[in-house]
Amino acid sequence: MSFLTKFSNSGTNIKTVSSIITPGKTYQYVDNGEPMRGGMKDVYFGPDKSYVVAFYRDKQDYNSRERLKKLVTQYYDSFFNREGGDYYKSLYCWPTDMVELDDKVGLIVPAYKKDFFFKKGYANGDGIKGKEKQGLWFASSKFRHKQFSLRLDETELGNWLSYFQICVKIARGVKRLHAAGLAHSDLSYKNVLIDPVSKAATIIDIDGLVVPGLYPPDVIGTADFIAPEVLATKHLDIRDPNRKHTNRTTDLHALAVMIYMYLLYRHPLKGSKVNSLDTEKDDLLSMGEKALFIEHPTDPSNRVKLAQGSKWALPWADTIKLPYTITGPYLKSLFDQAFIAGLHDPNLRPNADTWEQALLKTTDLMQPCSNKQCDQKWFVFDNTTSPKCPFCGTHIKGTLPVLDLYYQFKPTVWKPENHRLMVYNNQYLFQWHVNRNIIRNERLTAEQKVPVGYFTFHNDKWVFVNQKLGSLKDLTENKEIPLNTMVDITDGKKLLLSDEEGGRVVMITMANK
Amino acid sequence: MRRLPVYLLLDTSGSMTGEPIEAVKNGVQVMISSLRQNPQAIETAFISIITFDSVAKQVVPLTDLASFQMVDIKATGTTCLGEALKLVSTCIDNEVAKTTAEQKGDWKPLVFIMTDGIPTDDWQSGLEEFKKRKTAFTVACAAGSGADANLLKQITENVVSLDTADSQSIAKFFTWVSASIGVTSTKVEDAGKEVTGMGELPPPPSELNIVT
Repeated sequence: MSFLTKFSNSGTNIKTVSSIITPGKTYQYVDNGEPMRGGMKDVYFGPDKSYVVAFYRDKQDYNSRERLKKLVTQYYDSFFNREGGDYYKSLYCWPTDMVELDDKVGLIVPAYKKDFFFKKGYANGDGIKGKEKQGLWFASSKFRHKQFSLRLDETELGNWLSYFQICVKIARGVKRLHAAGLAHSDLSYKNVLIDPVSKAATIIDIDGLVVPGLYPPDVIGTADFIAPEVLATKHLDIRDPNRKHTNRTTDLHALAVMIYMYLLYRHPLKGSKVNSLDTEKDDLLSMGEKALFIEHPTDPSNRVKLAQGSKWALPWADTIKLPYTITGPYLKSLFDQAFIAGLHDPNLRPNADTWEQALLKTTDLMQPCSNKQCDQKWFVFDNTTSPKCPFCGTHIKGTLPVLDLYYQFKPTVWKPENHRLMVYNNQYLFQWHVNRNIIRNERLTAEQKVPVGYFTFHNDKWVFVNQKLGSLKDLTENKEIPLNTMVDITDGKKLLLSDEEGGRVVMITMANK
Repeated sequence: MRRLPVYLLLDTSGSMTGEPIEAVKNGVQVMISSLRQNPQAIETAFISIITFDSVAKQVVPLTDLASFQMVDIKATGTTCLGEALKLVSTCIDNEVAKTTAEQKGDWKPLVFIMTDGIPTDDWQSGLEEFKKRKTAFTVACAAGSGADANLLKQITENVVSLDTADSQSIAKFFTWVSASIGVTSTKVEDAGKEVTGMGELPPPPSELNIVT
């Protein structure tokens, strides 16, 4: 056995490779003899660093080559070369071409955007300045603990709302893949770069995608994100019919874990329950066959024991102080579905679209914390009569209008949407609140993203200023509210937001009276 | 959180005087700062340094990457590799937590041994002790022509050799050690897969020769 590799000390060397997709097309890359080494690939920069050439170290078989070819041609076109394609470009780092040098296959991959490299990095020192923002930096409580010497600088962390927006983007990226029948197969904080500052996320390592009808790549995923059924059957032969492979539902497990980790900075399955006295076996069982949600409502056997954990894991490791219910009712129900009902029953796992909608609806429940020193800055309304920030304990001052959305079930009968909008000063109202036919997703037009009005606390009372609603009506006082006028927001009032098809009624409740 | 214990056994005998010992000190520093760029390693890896010359000493107990501080080491005396193997065995007993019914234990330790000479003590009795401990893997590095790779083969099947014990080669070795820790801290939890043998590690840089 020898790992002796050829090594040239002759300095920088620009090499050229040819596309195997487009005859005559070539790419240059800089070979200084020491490529960046990924799990399976050696990566070289193009001369202007706008792309990289990533060569597989191992020879790729026919199936793998066909899979990669499809990714850079057919799937590339269907994702990006159509209306709305630019939005998706920001969600992935998708290979654009395939090259070959001798018997080695390589991919041309765009370089990551500059937002995905640390501007400051650590609070103290330059240790990771300029390095990639791999997701784990933001998914672990340690790196945000104020006494931890290797913590990230505050300017890198964003606030709690940033992570909801990041999770929305990850969910959208996964949703689009699944809509095309693809599965990522290795979603993890290693393969999703995030930037809390610009609230962006991008899915990388696309080349592991499982393409329908072609053999899956031989990976089971990254520790922490592998679905329990994949771990529980990984000892079986690859062709054994009982062996569970990565697919759409294993992606959905990984997605749920990722969302939980980015919002709560702890792992949903890593608790204190010991399933075997052998460390390796215990780990396999605890994440596989015997996996159990640490916050399971009726089985407390896998609760986190704070005394056994690292002090840097606090306060997030404390599931009593910061239970998953702080993420609000919509996400609570999805976490239950993912980590209780669907943990060992893949088909019950919530799909990416459901996560996206629940995350978006939850942002409508969020309130800014009035404590300027609060680390999280935002929190989800806890549905109590005396609401407070779960992170710093600061109570909301003054009254708090709660708007419940209703849709017309049949003439004169309105039913609740299970969608609530919490008002705060200078909160905007949008088309997707007004009309149930307008879905808040990546396909919104520029015009639909313009606010239709705003709420403000004015002369000691809450008002809504109507900017764009042509048929806004105060049903309680039976009065039209013309454009550029305002209406008082008071307890028990009903407003018709639009008389068009799909137009909603909001019912106002004043909390914290 | 399970810890990944890493023990570095470094030869500080007289023959390491000068460039080699400086290179080792520098290598440890570079290794620590490189590991501090890896969030997985910061989450799991704990490092301990054991030096051996006429005696073996644990100069840094098992310490997390954030708190790790290198101490000054000097090259002097003979090469008590056997004592070092005994000492690392005791340290593993004392420092590496076993899984019990109540508490999850640590991962099996990684052990890296670097020496530039022939042991001067009864190294077989040390080896006997060491063999009783379970490690994820042990790598021995024969630095320069004075070391006996075949002797090290009796300690572990994973032996690498540096042609010369100069600063460049030693630096490469530490780069490789940090890459190995990085890979292992990521992979170790991967399905409870046993990390054994060098197939799991990144290929060493070209100056290292793997002794087979």
